[in-house]
Amino acid sequence: MKCFILFALAVISAQAQAPDLGGDGVWLPRPMPDLAPNPKFQKNHTTNKSDPVARCLPPGVPRIMLMARPFEIVQTPNRIVFVYEGGAHVWRQVWMDGRPHPKDPNPNWLGHSIGHWDGATLVVDSIGFNEQTWLDDAGHPHTEQLHVIERFTRTGPLAMKYEVSIDDPGAYTQPWTSSSSFSFRAGEKLAEDICLDKISR
Amino acid sequence: MKAPSPLIALACLALASTFAQQPPLAKDPGPFLPPSDFPEDKVPKLVAGPAPHLSDGRPDFGGDGAWYPGFNGNVAETKWKGVKSADQHVDVPFLPWTLKTYNERVENLSKDDPEAKCLPVGVPRFMFDPYPFQMIQTRNQVLFVFEGDNYLWRIVTIDPKGTHPKNLKPTWLGDSVGHYEGDTLVVDVIGFNGLAWLDQAGHATSDKLHLIERYTRTDSITLKYEVTIDDPQAYSKPWTTYNTVHWRPGMELMESICQEDEKSSIHMIGNTKK
Repeated sequence: MKCFILFALAVISAQAQAPDLGGDGVWLPRPMPDLAPNPKFQKNHTTNKSDPVARCLPPGVPRIMLMARPFEIVQTPNRIVFVYEGGAHVWRQVWMDGRPHPKDPNPNWLGHSIGHWDGATLVVDSIGFNEQTWLDDAGHPHTEQLHVIERFTRTGPLAMKYEVSIDDPGAYTQPWTSSSSFSFRAGEKLAEDICLDKISR
Repeated sequence: MKAPSPLIALACLALASTFAQQPPLAKDPGPFLPPSDFPEDKVPKLVAGPAPHLSDGRPDFGGDGAWYPGFNGNVAETKWKGVKSADQHVDVPFLPWTLKTYNERVENLSKDDPEAKCLPVGVPRFMFDPYPFQMIQTRNQVLFVFEGDNYLWRIVTIDPKGTHPKNLKPTWLGDSVGHYEGDTLVVDVIGFNGLAWLDQAGHATSDKLHLIERYTRTDSITLKYEVTIDDPQAYSKPWTTYNTVHWRPGMELMESICQEDEKSSIHMIGNTKK
């Protein structure tokens, strides 16, 4: 009974006030080059030469959440903004104001993302991707039909669970999921890393 | 022979300094767009309300919309390439190398502009560049998100003590520390790499660049931007320039990835008409 009351209180407080995914510090993802250790979804034989990230293009979703580079979460009531040190110094926004996806989005590198709170979990729904990004470092491809659902749960002050579901009937026979985790580095800041500085032109 | 009188010596000095005068500034290369195509006169007529504030009294630089700086090709001229540029003319205190570099860049039509190669435009050029941006304020930061360039971000750490970290790595955007002075956000920026241009025209910088930026939302649709450029390796004294940035209600930022199919910059040859 005690346990139930505590649980009920937790649910009520979660509804009253959204969990804080930010704070004075950065999140560091666990490096995760391959989303699918399951042989059913084995990667294509893509070469690193065609890797868009090697040409300083944005890593796309979910790859940008899986690279071993820190990011910050800037949380406001209407919008949650992810700010990334790695990749191409880009940012990504998740609309929290209840708007739907656009009917015919222009395909782009980071997609169109809308989110809502499911208890203490931030659920982000994204569509509108171009076909050029890779899902992970390993090179899992996708089509413009890609639909990504990400679930962010802060399991403690310094820990976040990340679950991602990939639904792309143009590329995979069924939706599939993977998961990772991020650790919080209190007091740290993002550095400036301009990818184009490092490749010869 | 008598020693020359002080008056004659002074006259000689004045004459010598006339001959040693710096070369003139390179001229505006002229409109790069048919002026009728430029949407300057299509700016929606908006009614200004009072400047909004956050619940704790700080000025609110956000809202449902975005800031649009306009095309300001030259931070020191009121008009450049046929359109409005900075708010007022500045006699820029060039050092000889920055004047030479500036003139070369104007004359070769900014063919080596880092922005054309998809590199970050840097600060203060973000506030003089034709891409909208938004400011997202939290307790201890101001996050700038930009549509242009490569869809970049910039973080200003709010710290009234104004201390920069030691041993900064030189960067395009520098290290920004800010505080609020009444309704003005004041940002101190150092730690630059000296590669960024102050504007499209080509005012150069060194890695000694130190900026003091002042952002004031004077009414609901107007952001007054003031920046003092203190770079003793590039200019003989600090100088200040201004831009008025306009609010576009309802505007959202599009994802603009410069690096996507960027194949043009290596073909830029500058001005061939001599």
